[in-house]
Amino acid sequence: MSSKENEKTFESFAGLLSEGHLRELEEIGHNFIVDKREGNYIFDENGKRYIDCDNNEGCFVLGRHNQELAEELRVAMHETEQGNFPMISVEKANLAKALADFAPGNLECSVFSVVRGETIEFACKLARGYCGRAKLLSIGGSWHGETGFAVSLSDRANKDVFAPLVPDCQSIAFGNIDEAREQIDKDTAAVIIEPLQVHFNCRQQSSEYLYEIKRLCKKNKTLLIFDETNTAFGSSGYRFLCDYYNIVPDMLVTGEALGAGIFPIAATIITQEVNQFLNQHPMIHLSTFGGSDLGCRVALKTLEIYQRDKPWRETKRLGFKLMEGLETIIAKQDKPVIFAADGMGFLVSLDLGTREKAKSFCKRLAENGLLAKPANILKRCVILRPAVISGEEMIDEILKIVENTCNETHTL
Amino acid sequence: MATLKAPDAIDAKAKAKIVATFEKYINKGQVKYLKAGHLDVIEKERKGINFVDPVSKRKMIDCFSSAGCFNVGRHNPVVMQALDEALNTLDMGNHHMVSKEKVAFAKKLVSIAPGDLNRVLFASGGGDAVEAAIKLARAATGKKEIISTIKAYHGHTGFALSANGKEHYRGYCEPLMPGFRFVDFNDLEAMKLVVGDNTAAIIVEPIQGEAGIFIGEPEYLKGLRKLCDETGTLLIFDEIQTGFGRTGKMFALEHSCVIPDIMTVAKSIGGGLYPNAAVLYRDTEQLLNYVSANPDFHPSTTGGTDIGCAVSLKVVEYIEEHHLCQNSEQMGARLKAALLQLKKDNPKIIKDVRGIGLMVGIEYLHEFMGPMMSDALATQGIFAAYSGNAPQVMRFMMPITVSDQEMDQVIESINNAVAIMKRLLPLALPAAKIPIVLKLLNSEKVQTSLFGAIRVIEDGVKTVTNRFSR
Repeated sequence: MSSKENEKTFESFAGLLSEGHLRELEEIGHNFIVDKREGNYIFDENGKRYIDCDNNEGCFVLGRHNQELAEELRVAMHETEQGNFPMISVEKANLAKALADFAPGNLECSVFSVVRGETIEFACKLARGYCGRAKLLSIGGSWHGETGFAVSLSDRANKDVFAPLVPDCQSIAFGNIDEAREQIDKDTAAVIIEPLQVHFNCRQQSSEYLYEIKRLCKKNKTLLIFDETNTAFGSSGYRFLCDYYNIVPDMLVTGEALGAGIFPIAATIITQEVNQFLNQHPMIHLSTFGGSDLGCRVALKTLEIYQRDKPWRETKRLGFKLMEGLETIIAKQDKPVIFAADGMGFLVSLDLGTREKAKSFCKRLAENGLLAKPANILKRCVILRPAVISGEEMIDEILKIVENTCNETHTL
Repeated sequence: MATLKAPDAIDAKAKAKIVATFEKYINKGQVKYLKAGHLDVIEKERKGINFVDPVSKRKMIDCFSSAGCFNVGRHNPVVMQALDEALNTLDMGNHHMVSKEKVAFAKKLVSIAPGDLNRVLFASGGGDAVEAAIKLARAATGKKEIISTIKAYHGHTGFALSANGKEHYRGYCEPLMPGFRFVDFNDLEAMKLVVGDNTAAIIVEPIQGEAGIFIGEPEYLKGLRKLCDETGTLLIFDEIQTGFGRTGKMFALEHSCVIPDIMTVAKSIGGGLYPNAAVLYRDTEQLLNYVSANPDFHPSTTGGTDIGCAVSLKVVEYIEEHHLCQNSEQMGARLKAALLQLKKDNPKIIKDVRGIGLMVGIEYLHEFMGPMMSDALATQGIFAAYSGNAPQVMRFMMPITVSDQEMDQVIESINNAVAIMKRLLPLALPAAKIPIVLKLLNSEKVQTSLFGAIRVIEDGVKTVTNRFSR
């Protein structure tokens, strides 16, 4: 593509989609056209290589343009297609069964969606229906998506501009056991939790806090929902982060890593007990694109790869290496650029002190060949989320770029 | 991972296994519901307007099209080719970044959208697009109230569900968002009474689909436009079912020449292969200023993917190159004429025939006739579903690629199905004259149980017949 053509593409993007958006991309150095994609890398229109440490917010857990999955979709489209959404299909049945085998404990039934927000909407609606209660609780610092219930339950600064939102959605303070004891009561339909809050400096819930919440939920017949959009399938160093806590929720939201960046699909996995409500009231929640037969084929293959490669084992080990490396970089700084690093596995957050500094750090990372974005809630933080296929050398490469960027920023 | 194989020929035994797995790991109630209407079919050999029921070997005509997704036909080879090519180099892409595919499809959307609907925001599906539209309306105007219409259908996510005008989908999820009000569709005076200083937007489907195919009168839609202009209210058209040739025009709004401020599209732009959706909006100062200052007000991780945009672009090109809007108009006119004749011949069954292009509905006298007809049609090789918000209305929304010969077959099969239903009605109609019986017959749960029982008897008879014939 010639530079003249590139200019035209940017011009059209600004004119058709958003000029403001293009400005934001410039601020973080992401104002290039994504061309080739391969494994950990994407390439811009001039052939410059970037390590993708954003991965479309974690969709590309198995790397960019995963060949096995692309091939599966190619084969599958000759055998099936989207299908009529309410219908029974072998693809839907197979994926649901595979998810039941893959998911922890008694999480056995699945409802499919096309985007994370939809999985959250369904979980919240089902909780209300099943419990016959309205109150929904989330934890301060959570980000559950862009749709109605999800926005209502997220710690989003500007959400009042969309208000009035869904009533009876409340947030309780992170880690505050007393408030949890006060708020989780017989009126509470569900508590929804991100076990690790990616957009809040990859902050992790403590075991004690989660055990107490689980106990309170059981006592009050309140459902416990784990939103594992960011943490599922190995990114956290575990198959699901609920495995680490040894807690089985009543509902588990997988997020879009189920389609691994080749097909948009996500799932809400629930227990047979909770599914009784849907058995009595089928067709009250429908999704045209969720559970597309093609999507189910891709997701089934994705699960097979996860099961075969068990990437969480390496992610756990290399996650420690990544964190140790970052801590060494932080310790070596004469003048602090990165104030702290937090996270788990391949979900890591760097605290740059201010929002502006976070943006400028992302821009410098991009110049040095690494793609990362600031967090949505704690905007002074930059999230690094390499694909779970990353090996030892890739982690070294990432650390090197972070260190160089740090040094360059420091010398300015 | 042990999975069920999908052999080309699924026999009754293989189907039973698939159904049992679906019941256990997805939803038993859904199977019961589908079975009652003869809709518990596994779709094989999906091609054009057809799929094959592998057990009965019957070739079915798909008159549901996943609520209007399959405009370009099932397994469209040209769209498949586009997906195949996209897979050589593309994946979903980074939703926040610039790509050639996003730009090319956005350009195409704007080129086919009427008036000054010049701006695009991508979404993952219809519901997501409605979420974005309502968020945009509230945030850009700083007002809170949204006016929707009774029996409207906009989706299942929080904002969209709050705008749904039927209790069925909302009931168990209440309380939903405050600030949503509902008035009768096609009643401009009622709308005038509720639009006020705090109204952010009016949201309507130019043709209500799930409500039972009600066409927005051009004067009504023009009146809404005028009302919105006078009161500084935004007008949102939900074209998720009606877009891309379904009604005989690229967009249903072209029938009234009314340009909304915001328009949502989804379903058929995926070509039955790959999800995609979008919100188009006018480049007015109010909307542009908000989006420019808040470009990330509704990012969609799986909306406007690079693969999706490559596929959607081909879908629109296919509709244009194959003149599918004209075909939809012509075939729709044939279907409607045949159904009107059927109505004339069967005044005790059919109350009304409505529709435009290939979005046509039959309204029966009673709700219980919807599932009965669905059942009768299935026996004649027609897969059709009654409206979610109006069970007495059967929708016919086959792929708009349907040919003359195929339409002959559709019309003949519908005629045969009505004849079958007439044989059952001598039992049901006298009973329906008793109010409590009518209430029971119109209950979804009773229908599911009743027709489910009939299915069991049918299956039993089939088994016995098969044994004797051996």
